[in-house]
Amino acid sequence: MAESSNSRKRRKIDPDSQTRIQPETGPTRWRTQAEQQIYSSKLIDALRHVRRGGHGGVRDAADRVLAASARGRTRWSRAILTNRLSLRLAQINRKHKKAARPSAGKSRPRKPAKKLPPVESKVKVLSRLVPGCRKVSLPNLLEETTDYIAALEMQVKAMTFLTGLLNAGAAAPA
Amino acid sequence: MQPNVEAVQPQFRSGISGEKTGGMGFVFDDLIPDLQETDGTSFTALLELPPPQAVELLVKEDSPAKTMPLPIFPSNIALIDRASLFSVFASADNPPDRTNILSVSSSMKIDSVKQEPLEPEYHRNSSSPAVSNQSLKSIKRKEREKKVKKSSKKVVANEASDGSGEQLPYVHVRARRGQATDSHSLAERARREKINARMKLLQDLVPGCNKISGTAMVLDEIINHVQALQRQVEFLSMRLAAVNPRIDFNLEALLAVDSESSIDNSYLGMFPPSIWPEGQMNGSRQQQPWLIDGLNLPSMGRVDDTSNFITPENSLLSYDSPANSGAETLHLSQLKMEL
Repeated sequence: MAESSNSRKRRKIDPDSQTRIQPETGPTRWRTQAEQQIYSSKLIDALRHVRRGGHGGVRDAADRVLAASARGRTRWSRAILTNRLSLRLAQINRKHKKAARPSAGKSRPRKPAKKLPPVESKVKVLSRLVPGCRKVSLPNLLEETTDYIAALEMQVKAMTFLTGLLNAGAAAPA
Repeated sequence: MQPNVEAVQPQFRSGISGEKTGGMGFVFDDLIPDLQETDGTSFTALLELPPPQAVELLVKEDSPAKTMPLPIFPSNIALIDRASLFSVFASADNPPDRTNILSVSSSMKIDSVKQEPLEPEYHRNSSSPAVSNQSLKSIKRKEREKKVKKSSKKVVANEASDGSGEQLPYVHVRARRGQATDSHSLAERARREKINARMKLLQDLVPGCNKISGTAMVLDEIINHVQALQRQVEFLSMRLAAVNPRIDFNLEALLAVDSESSIDNSYLGMFPPSIWPEGQMNGSRQQQPWLIDGLNLPSMGRVDDTSNFITPENSLLSYDSPANSGAETLHLSQLKMEL
């Protein structure tokens, strides 16, 4: 209950200084044009530095730029920024060891079904989708999902625009 | 205790009785004048009082109740149950009272059949399936506790207002009629309310979720939406990767449109001015300063353009202009179909 009272205190303060704080927090901030422009410019910058991409090089760069523009306020953004190196290593390791190592009875402990409530299983699926939210409580998970969906939508818009821009730029002189 | 209990039973009525045989019945008459709202069901008003006070009143032995006439036997059996189960005051510290109350309530347990008509009431009270699950659990607890319309223990000040006060530092959750006031169920209810509020936000965000009712379906939609968005990002990143090697080339070609301005023509003369599909970009001229700014291209005498940078940047890249959005939505729908 302490955290709920804290969050209530925070929400109580917010309407007072709404002009400045409100656009900064909450999922609505992803919808502003300014955010989109900032993201696009940063993305272009990052794309020029993408290495001779392995699979998903551009995708990771785009996600990282997105997480960076979140200013570290959300869990998923922090998870994306801190995980890129470890994920890369894990991918490489997995590719190397995939053929070599047989799964030593790891699937068996997972067979006995503990909980069957459909809501619970969906919550787990959702927590796997949102990066960095596997062991997060349900209300926080929902909040993270809200922010994540808004951010993803902005990302799609920006990338679509950039793709069109670059394609048109490529097509015209050619 | 038993004889007291049985004597107390028939005394309850909707207006609360005052027979003095047991240690319980007359107490209510004391409370009647004390209560602020006495709208007929003064028993429920009794329960508005905070536990300690109520226990005090319960314990009080001396009262003018002896002068009260015999109570009318209550017609509503459900009210008997409710009246007997005032063990919400059991939360107070006084053990003897607790045992008294519990014995009373346990005596009413015999009439367990009467619990059933109460159940639909619970279902009516619950607004969502999640809450109804919880209320079913709380029904089982009812035998020990109370179905009471009473403010929670956590309320610091005794308010008579309706609704849960969410602005106060304490978790002020008001127990609705027909729900338990156990601290566990209160905490659960507060948690559920938080979760439902967040789900509402999500429903507004995800298109098409407003019509669906039920947590599982809404979660389904949310999951689908997130997966679709992630797939879109993946797809777009593939396309961007295909275009990537030509980024520098393209961007300089973009700049070529603005070559008529004070930019050094000799440098850009190599690149023919590109023809922009007007449907895709409005104000392409406005975009040039922004792109130049973002790319730190070699200086091209842009002193005159700096003044242009600031003002157009505010209206840059009108993503959501009608023509743009039209093209983009078409593009997006194409993407989705390809996916």
